[in-house]
Amino acid sequence: MQRSLLIVMMMLLAWPMTGWTQSRTVTGQVISGEDNLTLPGVNVSIKNTNRGTVTDIDGTYSISASSGETLIYSYIGFIPQEVEVGNQNTIDITLQPDAQTLGEVVVVGYGSVTRGDLTGNVASLKGSEIANVPVPSFQEALQGRMSGVFVESSSGKVGEGVKIRVRGTSSISGGNEPLYVIDGIPVTSSGTIGKSNPLADINFNDIESFEVLKDASAAAIYGARASNGVVLITTKSGTSGKTKFNVGIQRGISSPTRRNEFLNSAQYIELMRESGYNNDLANGLDPINNPADYEDSDLEFVEGRLDRYAGHTDWRDGAVDTDWQEQAFNPDAGVTNVNFSASGGDEKTRFYFSTSYDKQDGIMIRNNFERISGRLNLDHKVSDRFTLGANFSLARTETTRLPEDNQFNNPIQLVALAPITPIRDENGVLNDRPTTTYYNNLIDSENANWLSTSYRNINSIFGEYEFTENLKFRSDFAVDIINQSDERFFGSRTITGQGTNGYGTSRWVRVFNYNTNNYFTYSNTFSDRHQLEAVAGMSFQKSEDNYTRVDGQEFPLDDLKTLESAAEIVEGTSTFTDFSFLSYFSRINYKLDDKYLMTVSARYDASSRFGENNKYGFFPAGSLGWIVTEEGFLKGSEGLSLLKLRTSYGLTGNAEIGNFDHLGLFGPVSYGLQPGLEPTQIPNPNLTWETTAQFNLGIEFGFFNDRITGELDYYDKQTSDLLLLVPVPGTTGFATQRQNIGKMQNYGFEVVLNSANYADQNFSWNTSFNFARNINRVRELAEGQNSIPPSSSRFLNGIFIGESIGVFYGPRYAGVDPNNGDALYYSNEQQTETTSDYNEAARMVVGDPNPDFIAGITNNITYKNLELSFLFQGVFGNEIYEGGGGFYAANGDWFDNSTAIQFNRWQEPGDITNIPQARLGECNGCNASSRYISDGSYVRLKTLSLGYNLPSSLIDKMRVSSARIYLMAQNLLTFTNYMGWDPEVNADYLGSTTSDSNVFQGNDFYSAPQAKTFSLGLNIGF
Amino acid sequence: MKFKNIQFSIILSTIVFFSSCEDQLDLTPAQSVDQEIALNSDANIKRVLIGAYANMRHEDFWGGRSILYAEMLSANNEIRWEGTFNQPREVFNKSIFTNNSFITNTWLRSYSAINVVNNILDVIDLVDEADRDRVMGEALFIRGAIYFELAKLYGMPYVSGNTNTNLAVPLVLSPTREVSAADLLPRNSVEEVYQQALTDLETAEELLPATNGFFARNYVASALLSRIYLQMERFADARDAADRSITIATANGKSLLDNYMSAFNNEADTQEDLFAIQVNPQDPANNMHLFYSTPDFGGRDGDVTILDAHINQYEERDERLEQFVERAGEIRTDKWRDQFRNVKVIRLAEMYLTRAETNFREGTSVGATPLEDINLIRTRVNLPEKNSLTLEEILMERKLELAHEGHFIHDVKRTRGEIQDNNSNDLQYDYDDPRLVLPIPQREMDANPELVQNPGYGG
Repeated sequence: MQRSLLIVMMMLLAWPMTGWTQSRTVTGQVISGEDNLTLPGVNVSIKNTNRGTVTDIDGTYSISASSGETLIYSYIGFIPQEVEVGNQNTIDITLQPDAQTLGEVVVVGYGSVTRGDLTGNVASLKGSEIANVPVPSFQEALQGRMSGVFVESSSGKVGEGVKIRVRGTSSISGGNEPLYVIDGIPVTSSGTIGKSNPLADINFNDIESFEVLKDASAAAIYGARASNGVVLITTKSGTSGKTKFNVGIQRGISSPTRRNEFLNSAQYIELMRESGYNNDLANGLDPINNPADYEDSDLEFVEGRLDRYAGHTDWRDGAVDTDWQEQAFNPDAGVTNVNFSASGGDEKTRFYFSTSYDKQDGIMIRNNFERISGRLNLDHKVSDRFTLGANFSLARTETTRLPEDNQFNNPIQLVALAPITPIRDENGVLNDRPTTTYYNNLIDSENANWLSTSYRNINSIFGEYEFTENLKFRSDFAVDIINQSDERFFGSRTITGQGTNGYGTSRWVRVFNYNTNNYFTYSNTFSDRHQLEAVAGMSFQKSEDNYTRVDGQEFPLDDLKTLESAAEIVEGTSTFTDFSFLSYFSRINYKLDDKYLMTVSARYDASSRFGENNKYGFFPAGSLGWIVTEEGFLKGSEGLSLLKLRTSYGLTGNAEIGNFDHLGLFGPVSYGLQPGLEPTQIPNPNLTWETTAQFNLGIEFGFFNDRITGELDYYDKQTSDLLLLVPVPGTTGFATQRQNIGKMQNYGFEVVLNSANYADQNFSWNTSFNFARNINRVRELAEGQNSIPPSSSRFLNGIFIGESIGVFYGPRYAGVDPNNGDALYYSNEQQTETTSDYNEAARMVVGDPNPDFIAGITNNITYKNLELSFLFQGVFGNEIYEGGGGFYAANGDWFDNSTAIQFNRWQEPGDITNIPQARLGECNGCNASSRYISDGSYVRLKTLSLGYNLPSSLIDKMRVSSARIYLMAQNLLTFTNYMGWDPEVNADYLGSTTSDSNVFQGNDFYSAPQAKTFSLGLNIGF
Repeated sequence: MKFKNIQFSIILSTIVFFSSCEDQLDLTPAQSVDQEIALNSDANIKRVLIGAYANMRHEDFWGGRSILYAEMLSANNEIRWEGTFNQPREVFNKSIFTNNSFITNTWLRSYSAINVVNNILDVIDLVDEADRDRVMGEALFIRGAIYFELAKLYGMPYVSGNTNTNLAVPLVLSPTREVSAADLLPRNSVEEVYQQALTDLETAEELLPATNGFFARNYVASALLSRIYLQMERFADARDAADRSITIATANGKSLLDNYMSAFNNEADTQEDLFAIQVNPQDPANNMHLFYSTPDFGGRDGDVTILDAHINQYEERDERLEQFVERAGEIRTDKWRDQFRNVKVIRLAEMYLTRAETNFREGTSVGATPLEDINLIRTRVNLPEKNSLTLEEILMERKLELAHEGHFIHDVKRTRGEIQDNNSNDLQYDYDDPRLVLPIPQREMDANPELVQNPGYGG
């Protein structure tokens, strides 16, 4: 009361003063540069006076000021701005968030801390920074934005899994994906049908922030599941005040990032005839110059095949030149997004409500993704002590899916067809074998359907009760339910349904995952110097997975696609599996004198996945921090505004193995329709988690009032007790046994730099840079085992002690013998001798699919109402192996069409080239070797956005509070020397088991390139 | 009061909840059972016996691939591999990589079946006495058959001599319950593995009944024994085994079918089948169909072409020529045309051919004269009867009658013949050429340092 009286008096005193300066009334609106919503409560003051006001609920203000005065706009968490009044009557301001302030709240497991108090390594990203990025899953949108977080989409197929590695790969045959925790709940991130990505069910417009817990101190509270890092996702919640609405629409078009060049008809004919003719010459025949030799010659064989592949046309007249690659791409690819949200509430109840529609028409034919989602986040204060809340979300995701990369009906495999083959015959019917070299999978477009539909609920309720000011208890219970169906029908003309009058599959999976967290939080400050916060509690999680599948064939006609119409049911199965975790955890944060920090945490985990001798594990971690700039000798230092040192050490585990790997089991089989049993697994009662001991040393700094801030971290992750599928002699009746054996190391450093390069009323420019170098080394395998050599003769990935996981191991290609056109390989490791005999070639490490380093740089530039933001993202020092090379880059070895470069084949003695002589069916250089390895480094203009905020004069007329139009481009430019389609690639079919997916990295096998998308969007707030 | 209630209920529910969670840690799988349960009763052990057949019938073994290897090794410029699968192509080119996944899986699958058999034999006393002989006989039949097949694929031919020093495969005769250093076994000699196969099959022949559905019967064991004796050039024993097989089989309703082509593409065993792998849409693997057939019949693209050099060997009017039909742009054999049809392992015709050859070699007429047996085969396919025979004619009849069924390579080896290379006219492979022997899989070499690789496949 007294204070408001004082203010009124001061204002009264000030009033007459306006009379004798040239005073005017300035009005305007303040908008947050983070989400373009209006900012209420911003302090607007006049420099060097004590006059001021705050913005109202719409972010508008009105203040009297003279033209010579300067207005200061300030708000917690935002960079303050100063504007000279001049002769302006309206001043609209966009305040940019100050991402690196020490006051920023960072979500950690079972609580949150301010960034200044953090002693672990946590990378944070605001949801608003990736809003409107036109990709299906938030994982793809994170690419290049967080240091030490490697993101890779296996191909440009939409809705498929995305690989994320936090500080490298720490397991050989266990999972390497991080644990995903949404609003405190570990969610299901795998286990759905085929390659579908359960995380694509999440609408990332609802996400307030991402936190990635990277070091042991941050992650150890997640215990046996923290070795791969933990991704914490916090969804938006309402703020009390006037209800804010936000509507967004976005449309875009997509196309492949890169194409590959293939031979045209004339070149194809020349190469194939030459290939057969070369064989004849080698056999002492000359069918061209000596017609008697023509019969039964390879040339005759080739020309017979060309006749066949030309169908109703004649290849000799060159009329047909089909670009099969182009047929694989969807000319109507694009994105559509419509979203609506409302948030608000009063002092007791707050809500956030949203709904969204997302559609991605993939760049490949037959591949679309559509998501409809809704969310309601609610919290209510029952009393001063008791808060209740609930988060409900529901999404339906529909994907028209594609088969795995190695299937003939993967669209890209169309490139194998001969350019002399017409797409359709004279009756307009799609040509198929034997006219086409392989299956013409365009038939799938006319005669097959494949739809996967997923319903996803993630619902939680929580209650928080404050016993005293210092002690509170929080309990939450959550369910995460995935209901997915996958319906396939292949008609009687398709490769799959051809022999059986159609083939249909219906699959259905339900993953029911429930979780509860119950914990106490105690915080207090003693003697003004000792700040203490302690968390202690338990959690329990159980996940159940039900799966059924029915396959049928013999359909009366292709219009009847459900299995009701199948005359013959050929497969029917149902399975059930489950796992559980019971955990107790605790963490203590202690701060002395606001400058000495300490955190200790521990988790005690038990899981159904482990053997009876090792069911429980203990994962402790500790860390120390020192804010040097709080010391007297640095306090108030002009240049150095922040210097913080921190270090941590702790243990985490990896429990991502099969649910029952420890048991000795017999499983069902059948023979002749009679049921049988066979041994499936050798027991290992000692089986337990992998343990990672991680050391981290970090330094955080800020210069010039935090205009430049940054972090440097060094880490060393030593993983032991690797959950390894150890090869055992097959003579035991088993191929492998899962054992805790072997060691792996990941070490490296990370750099984060943020700079507010310039900021004034009209113009601001921020740069944010991240860089991470990770070195992965396999240190130990089973006793006496030095390697797990490549298990496939088509691909080269293997595991070798002292090398990175999945290095390419095989013969090193030595080019072409200029005398005879033979493909050569080095026959010794020193690479001094060569041989043309593939079996004689020396095997060695010839490449590494793991990048040396990854980096990203984001620039945000605003000029008046314009905003420009662009992210360059890069991956460096990795190699890619083209598994399809043996077919399309094999110098005319068989009738697959070849890449254009194969035309530079060796033809006569003296030719210097890297492409061997064409020899039909003789595999002159077609075997797996370094010939098909190329540099996979790339730099991409990942995201480019240009936005325009409509000025307040205009939006006032429109009766809205904000309006923004923007142009957004994804994957606009790609710089790479990679020989294949797109360097962000990993053939999806090689990862059918977890250990395969860890080892088979960096392979391309007719994998779809990534999508390049241009979109235009509009956001309106009111 | 109200807050006290809340506090109390929090504490109470927490205690109840914590204690119930502990029980949730002991979960058991729904699709498998503990090994103790599987082997603890008569009924369960009989289920495990089906499991042994299921391993043997797998595509890696008699579900097609052991036949496919035989055909690829003996292509002889009579057939050509044209498919995209590199595993059969390597065998076809006699340039096999030690990590060839088909060959690796055949090894693993074979020993998986042997381990199942060993598990059964270990608890055979728990089987009801009335069925014990049969169960034991079937188990031994499977083990003997697999060891014989492994010896042929991974070892040098028996007739190349040095059978006590030439290596075949490790002999494992007891079940695996845990893995230890004792499991690092060296390869046994060709002689030892042949002797084990003989012992298993001779015992099986004694124990098995003459009727047992499509499972092992005594005359099937006799038939397999005749194959082993043939490889060992024990012609009199081969003759007697073949004769026993014919005698019991025909007494139990087996006979040659009137029409040659009706002996193939069958959903159930015919009168002519002594042993076939049962294939149906539930259990669909038939790799011979997969690679030999064409898309219109549910096969791949027609990965194997039959060349003129093969077809020209048949006499005119030979009804066996009906199997050669142009499909998917090339000549195919229709023996493997239809999907979901049984894989022929032993046809009665083979026994007549074996008896004819061995009687001829021994100068005897056990069961029938060689001429009678050969003419039985010839008249069935509309060929004129012969009045006299040479060994070459008998072997040619055998080759054509059993063509594309996985026999020729084994006959070439035991008769010390040679195989013509498809690509190079100047290249022939002698019967004992190491390139006609599969490599020990690399994964096995890595897992077991006691193993020695076959010649020509690196160290």
